[in-house]
Parts: sequence; structure tokens; C-alpha cells
Amino acid sequence: MEYFKKIFKESIIIVIISSFMGLISGTVLSSNERILYSFPIILLILPSLNSLIGDISTVLSSRLTSHLYIGIIPPKIQKSDRLKEDFYGLLITILLSLIALIVLGYSMGIATGIEIVNPVLIIIILLFTILLLFVSMFIFLFISAIFIFKQGKDPNNFLIPFVTSLADFLTPLFLIIFIQIFI
Amino acid sequence: MESQDTKGKIVKESLPSEIISIVGDILAGIVLSLLIVPFESFLILILIVPALLSLRGNISGPYIARTSKDLIIGEFNRKSLIENILATYVLSIVTAFIIGVFSIVLNIFLIKIPIVSNIMLIEIPIITILITLSISIPCSTGLNYLAFKYGLNPNNVVNPIMTAIDDFFTVISFYLSLIMLGVP
Repeated sequence: MEYFKKIFKESIIIVIISSFMGLISGTVLSSNERILYSFPIILLILPSLNSLIGDISTVLSSRLTSHLYIGIIPPKIQKSDRLKEDFYGLLITILLSLIALIVLGYSMGIATGIEIVNPVLIIIILLFTILLLFVSMFIFLFISAIFIFKQGKDPNNFLIPFVTSLADFLTPLFLIIFIQIFI
Repeated sequence: MESQDTKGKIVKESLPSEIISIVGDILAGIVLSLLIVPFESFLILILIVPALLSLRGNISGPYIARTSKDLIIGEFNRKSLIENILATYVLSIVTAFIIGVFSIVLNIFLIKIPIVSNIMLIEIPIITILITLSISIPCSTGLNYLAFKYGLNPNNVVNPIMTAIDDFFTVISFYLSLIMLGVP
């Protein structure tokens, strides 16, 4: 049962932490019932939005780690062409994915009779949320990857589960903050 | 090579899997909006959903990665598979129980809606994750095996497909557990 013990020991802490962050995210949603009932489309697109930010952050984390190990980017906080290429590549991906998400989400919403209140404003809010999260995740992941790498550890092992949970927590939080600001 | 990827290549390789993932998650969102919102206890239930989706991601994802790795390095056998599945189930049950306990605490101190019993708040995440894993584990193991058999890298193919399937079935299983338990 060595494989079993190894899996259990290596996973249990991060799984509990991420579930706890998920509960905090749930508390944010639950405490803003007025917004959830007024904008039912938010609930429809929230799982995809969480997943999108988490997936892109995971890709970025694994790319940064590979670049650091191969030596393509130096373990210093400085701009480089490689970093710019990754930034713009992932930014374009996340924006195109957001377009797909909005088109699919709104189509499904219309098809299933879910009311879409203030559709244009919701799109603007989604765009702000995605851009803010992407830029902050990029900066956070870049600095953290360098810091962890300098300590001789693999940034992927810590950053991927952490950033996925962070995205699950921050996405509904930012979404609700922007809805309160704009509406 | 990853270090030489242009932004165009990054978009080309990442976008299709993102679209697959978005479709599955939108289906999960529809189930949430149409089937979960009408519950009287919705405000407590929405507390648990993000934690269950996180739990699914952090348990099912690594299970897929471990199975892929075992297939790729030639260590995939009956013993490793059984221990991998057993660890996945034990991790899920322990964490689902902790989610239940935390939701009781949050309900007592923050949400303050006493319409769902404490026992139910423990049972809901455990039953949900058990149903989800019973669908997810055979699917992902089969997909991993097929991808490997046909010369594809299971890491690149199986994960996005399973993210979509898992998120959708997590919400469906959540709904089924509410019906089974008679949650108001």
C-alpha cells in the first residue's frame, strides 16, 4: 500500500485548503443572494469562468516553470521577449475563450429561458473581471515562480493547486464587486 | 518545443481544449441555474457547490495525471490502479466530510438558515463526490487507456475532456444527492 500512502500524504493538505477556499467562495455567493437572483445568468457562466481562469493560470504556471528550468528566462524579475510572447499568447486565448463563453452562455440562457438582465453591462463586467484576474495572476505567478525556483523547488507542485483554488475564490469575489460598482 | 512557442501557437494549442471545457461548464451552470436555484435551501447549497467543484478538480485531475504517468512510464498494472483508485476515494470522502463540517460552522455563524439538518450538510458532499467519482474514474481510466493505445499523449487529450465531463457530473450528482436526501 505504499503508492496509496504516498498519494494520500502528498495530496490531503492541499485538497483540504482548496476545498476551504471553495467554501469561502460559496460564502461570498451566498451572502450576495440579491445579485444571484437579479442576474441568474451569473450562475450559469460562473463554473466556466472559474474553470477558464484556473486553466489559463495552470498553463502559465507550467510554461514559466519549463522556461526557468531550461534557462530561457533568467530567475530575475525582468522583462523578456519570451515573457511577452507568453503574456500576449495567453491574453489572446483568454479573450477568445471569453467570447466563446459569452456566445455559448447567452445562447444556452436564451434556449433554456434564463433571464439575461443588462446583457451588455454583464459582458463589460466579465471583461473587467477576466482582465484584472489575468494580469494579477500573471504578475503573481511570475514573481512566485522565480522565488520558488530560486529556493530549489519545483514551482508547479505548489503554484498549480494554489492558483486554481485562488481563482475559484477570486472570480466570484471580483464579479460581485464589479456588479456592485457598475449596477 | 514549449520554449520556442509563438503567441499564435499558444493560442492554437490552448483554445480548442478551453472551448471543450467551457461547453461542459456551461452545462453545469445550466443545471445550477435551473435545478438548484428553486430549492428553498439554495443559499446554503450554493455555499457547498464551489467547494465541490474545487474538490473535483484537485482530486480527479491528479488521478488522471497519475494514471497517465503510470501508462507512460510502464508502471500501469492492477495493483497501482487499485491503490490509485482507493487513495482517490479515501481522499474524497475525508475532504467531503471536512467540507460538510465547515459548511455547518459557516451556516451556524454566517448564513443562519436552519432548514437543512447538520447531518444532511455532511451527507450531501459525501454522496455527491461518491456518485461523481463512480462516473469519472471509469471514464478517465478508459479514456487514458484508449489515448495511450492509439499513440496519443493522455496528458494532452484526457484532461480537458474530463474537466468538462467532471464539472457537469458534479452538479448533476449534487442535484441527485439533494433529491435522494429529500433536501427542502
